[in-house]
Amino acid sequence: MCFPRDAREVQAAVRAAQHHGVPFVARGSGTGLAGGATPLDDALVIVMSQMDRILEIDPRSRTAWVEPGVLNLDLSRAAAPHGLHYAPDPSSQQACSIGGNVGTNAGGPHCLASGTTTAHVLAVDAVLADGTATRIGGARPDEPGYDLRGVYVGSEGTLGVTTGVLVRLLPDPPAVRTLLLDFTSIDDAATTVSGIIAEGILPAALEMMDAQITRAVEDFVGAGYPRDAEAVLLVELDGLPDGVTAQALAIDEIGRTHGARTVRVARDEAERELLWKGRKSAFGAIARIAPDYYLHDAVVPRTQLVGVLRRIYEIAAEQRLTMMNVFHAGDGNLHPLIVFDRREPGTWERVHHAGTEILEACIAAGGVLSGEHGIGVEKRDLMGRLFSPIDLDAQARLVEAFDPSGLANPRKVLPAGSRCGELAGTRPVPEGTWI
Amino acid sequence: MNGLRMTTRGALGLDPDELVACVSCGLCLPHCPTYRVTGLELASPRGRIAAMRVVDSGAAPLDAVFVRAMDECVQCRGCEAACPSGVPFGHLMESTRAAIAPRRPRLRRFVETLGYRGVLAHHRVLVAVSWLLLVAQRLRLVPRRYAATLPRLDMRRLALRLRVPAGGTPDVWLFTGCVMDAWMRETHIAAARVVRATGARPAVPGRGGDCCGALHVHAGRTDDARRLARRVIASMPGAAPVLVDSAGCGAALRDYGHLLGTPEAAAFAARVVDISSWLAQQPPLPLRPGGGRVVVQDPCHLRHVQRDHAGVRTVLGPAYELVETDDDALCCGAGGAYAALQPALANDVRARKVAALARTGASVVCSANPGCTIHLRAAGLEVRHPVELLADALEESPR
Repeated sequence: MCFPRDAREVQAAVRAAQHHGVPFVARGSGTGLAGGATPLDDALVIVMSQMDRILEIDPRSRTAWVEPGVLNLDLSRAAAPHGLHYAPDPSSQQACSIGGNVGTNAGGPHCLASGTTTAHVLAVDAVLADGTATRIGGARPDEPGYDLRGVYVGSEGTLGVTTGVLVRLLPDPPAVRTLLLDFTSIDDAATTVSGIIAEGILPAALEMMDAQITRAVEDFVGAGYPRDAEAVLLVELDGLPDGVTAQALAIDEIGRTHGARTVRVARDEAERELLWKGRKSAFGAIARIAPDYYLHDAVVPRTQLVGVLRRIYEIAAEQRLTMMNVFHAGDGNLHPLIVFDRREPGTWERVHHAGTEILEACIAAGGVLSGEHGIGVEKRDLMGRLFSPIDLDAQARLVEAFDPSGLANPRKVLPAGSRCGELAGTRPVPEGTWI
Repeated sequence: MNGLRMTTRGALGLDPDELVACVSCGLCLPHCPTYRVTGLELASPRGRIAAMRVVDSGAAPLDAVFVRAMDECVQCRGCEAACPSGVPFGHLMESTRAAIAPRRPRLRRFVETLGYRGVLAHHRVLVAVSWLLLVAQRLRLVPRRYAATLPRLDMRRLALRLRVPAGGTPDVWLFTGCVMDAWMRETHIAAARVVRATGARPAVPGRGGDCCGALHVHAGRTDDARRLARRVIASMPGAAPVLVDSAGCGAALRDYGHLLGTPEAAAFAARVVDISSWLAQQPPLPLRPGGGRVVVQDPCHLRHVQRDHAGVRTVLGPAYELVETDDDALCCGAGGAYAALQPALANDVRARKVAALARTGASVVCSANPGCTIHLRAAGLEVRHPVELLADALEESPR
């Protein structure tokens, strides 16, 4: 493990790893959910928590240069005096780092309207696997050449170690309104989601929580979430005051048409913050139900939400597991959450089985493996279900172009044997793998 | 479900249900003062729980690295307030310290036993030791390592007299405690004045109310703490509220139900109230407005442990312009005896706090805990207790 304080120390660490042929992996706050920062093969862990300086905030160009260890929420707080904020807001935003956000192309409730991390990163300073320090992307709106920045964001540390990030900051909206709709059936909530988007409204955020998670969250925050609802929708609208008012009325009507029992509008900032605190604490709050959880991350077309959700609850019933759903409904980004107690024999197997079945159901419905958590080690071996060998080979070649040594966070994202015809670098191929 | 579960205790004797409650989500990290200044996982609540797990299960030894990681925790419990899973981190840490205590070096155990049992538990001894310390400070006999962390004692302060009757049947009890009553009696004097201004008759505890045992619990000396708790409960009989002007003591007194596990202790704990909270429930005091800008620095044991920090703002609001820090109410690094035991980390944590306090532009800091006050004063800040600020603003003349 090492704790660099600046880019030169990162460079020294990478060079040392390269010299000794040791793999290396960068780690931010360790809040990742797909194991992207988990060190495999006794890798050198480069911990970025001491590189936590906000180097510059430029309110005129609405950008900021930050070190990778800066916490997501700290950046928004630092930008607040300028009337600006950093848009991607993962549930872990108070704890997760910008470097980790870049690695996983993190999302968050407010990415529905404003896009995920990649839409907010202009440039990255990185140390590549051979120890070269380089800048990828730039401050100009359209950098010449290939968009390597787009390649780098979401690469989960397999292309290099991030040492600095130039982010875009967005102006705070003039008006914000948060609505809480509660339903007596999950289907009604899901059809309301499609209804809102079909009406041409793009809320800043559109989140859904099912009955059990709503109760767990309410126990923690006491925000007045209805304990007897089968599902709730948290909708946030922002923009000019008149537009927000009109959209709020429209959503009220769409909700009631689709069976919403009540539509509550947050009266003030404090109530709004409390509602969001509930949504963002959801994953942690489940320990009030059982000690362990397995959280999935998959995306399905919005129109398929009703069917896929039904299938997910069926899988849970088949495997005798408790399943909850709390997710970014607006972009069809599901987060099925299996809660369990690993101390009960046989539970692990059922949990894993259910997890794979859920992802298969999502893929069958035209979805993908990950919305925002990344692939890491968790979903690496499922990549073959989504991509053909040719696709995987192309991606493996891309990684190789950045890192011929294969030492940058090896055995992540791509399954062993992704490279056609020959063994990719030093990547070991486990037994029974097809090539 | 719990009844069916195996609940064998491990090497640290921790409650397995408390231990598994952590899902390692990491939301506690930014609320941990030692993680904030070091960036080290082992200096974070999540890392400490992971370490407790492996040591408790026997997968790793109870070695010096583990003891250091546990000792570095300030026990501010900011993580507990931030934890969506409701992990009782304070209890886990107290149990762990209790498991470590018998393994400390013999000399340290001897000195600690002397301090915790001989001095803190007997108020007259503590006062005598304080006078000795004062003389030693004047003669520059205090080792440099401690000189910076101990407050410079003041002869006039030590000589102050608190004119409040002891025992009897008062309207309210004013708990005075150990170190605070010896070194910061001016706070108790102000507290008594403010209480009398409401029309209530205060009394200090009768025999045995010397020390609440908070420092003993933090150090893992649970048996000592229980002994003190029984004495304290006996020293304040009846049903009158027990007002506390030290957040650390208040948190400990309110936890007596858990510490002793008896209905009497739980009933006593329910009578304990922070003095500002109690004042906030009385008719408003006649206060002069325009007292200047004051930044409220909530002691962790008031905000995170007692979760009772609104009262200060209610009572001071009419007299002062109150401002808040922008650092999520992070700990100042005092932590009872922590500042003396871990001076380097305590100073790093304090530096962060001092910067946050400075950003508010207030020249006076308000703190309701003696440990925080001493620690922050040592950084050159003007720190006052809420009741002192209230006493200053009272309309009527002092006597």
